Amino acid sequence: MAMENQANENIEKLFGEFLSEEDSRRAAENVQKGERILREHPAPAPAGELLADINSKVVKALAAKGAKTRRLIACKVAAVAAVVIILIVISVKFSGKGPAVQTPVTLEPIQRAVWESDGVSVDRTELALLRDEIEHVEGEILTLRLGENGGNGGGEFVEIEMELTDIGSNFWKG
Amino acid sequence: MAERENLNRIISGCRNGDAESFSQLIDMYAGRCYGYFYRVTGNRTVSDDLLGELFVKLVEKIGSFKGDSFESWLFKVVSNIFHDYLRAKHRQSQFLETQKSRMQSQVSEPERCDGDEIDKLQLQLNKLDADTRDVIMLRYYSQASFREIAQMRSELIGTTLSKVHRGLKKLRELMEG
Repeated sequence: MAMENQANENIEKLFGEFLSEEDSRRAAENVQKGERILREHPAPAPAGELLADINSKVVKALAAKGAKTRRLIACKVAAVAAVVIILIVISVKFSGKGPAVQTPVTLEPIQRAVWESDGVSVDRTELALLRDEIEHVEGEILTLRLGENGGNGGGEFVEIEMELTDIGSNFWKG
Repeated sequence: MAERENLNRIISGCRNGDAESFSQLIDMYAGRCYGYFYRVTGNRTVSDDLLGELFVKLVEKIGSFKGDSFESWLFKVVSNIFHDYLRAKHRQSQFLETQKSRMQSQVSEPERCDGDEIDKLQLQLNKLDADTRDVIMLRYYSQASFREIAQMRSELIGTTLSKVHRGLKKLRELMEG
């Protein structure tokens, strides 16, 4: 609803809401006479220098406001960018479509017997056993070469192969 | 109508931070706002300061104008600045209690640089209390209706009517006396 302005307001009617008809007429008259006195005694106008000074203050205030607004926009853009980056990282992590997560490359575990051995003597025993096994295999091969086993060479080869496999696995198992 | 459109254009420019629009706004309203400040304070130096403060404040506040009656909105800001000044003066006078009487006389005495008639009106106005001076000058310089003034001051229209009526009646008696 548009509000009535001073030009079209009926003062007497307004006073009539609170006073009698006679009193409201007199009150409206008092207001009009009082306002006439004000019109007859105008206040001084602001000096030209003052207005020029105010104009320059306003220009400075506008510049400061502009800088402040730009800083605010930059902060908002940075905040939005940070949120977007965080969202991308989260979505990539949970969708599993992104690059595979690299697992760290580790060395094969060190043989438990060697790792858990607390002295060179244990390791040496292991090495001594290995050397015995190798010597045994060498002996078997030599026997085959010399034909000492009665010409049953094919079965002997399979046996040697199994023995080698066994030795290998025993060695690495510790 | 064209005047209204022109004002809307200026306000729109001010909202966009256009210095030229602010300059036009100052040209349009500085006189009336200055008149209000002068009549309520009775001091040109204070009025100069308050007018400067008003337009600098408008740079920040113009965005909060909702587009109803600009003059009502503007004079509400004007009146708030005056009341802030009164509060600051009150705090100052409390702080400097020993200089109380001197400060009061500084604030209430009008300057002697105006014509006799203006001085006479100002002298009589200073005999009214600050609130009555405020409501009379708000109505006179804002050219707002009683309903708008009541709304600006957040009071009932009956209160506004009563204050303006009693104040103007007393002022007339003082001027004629």
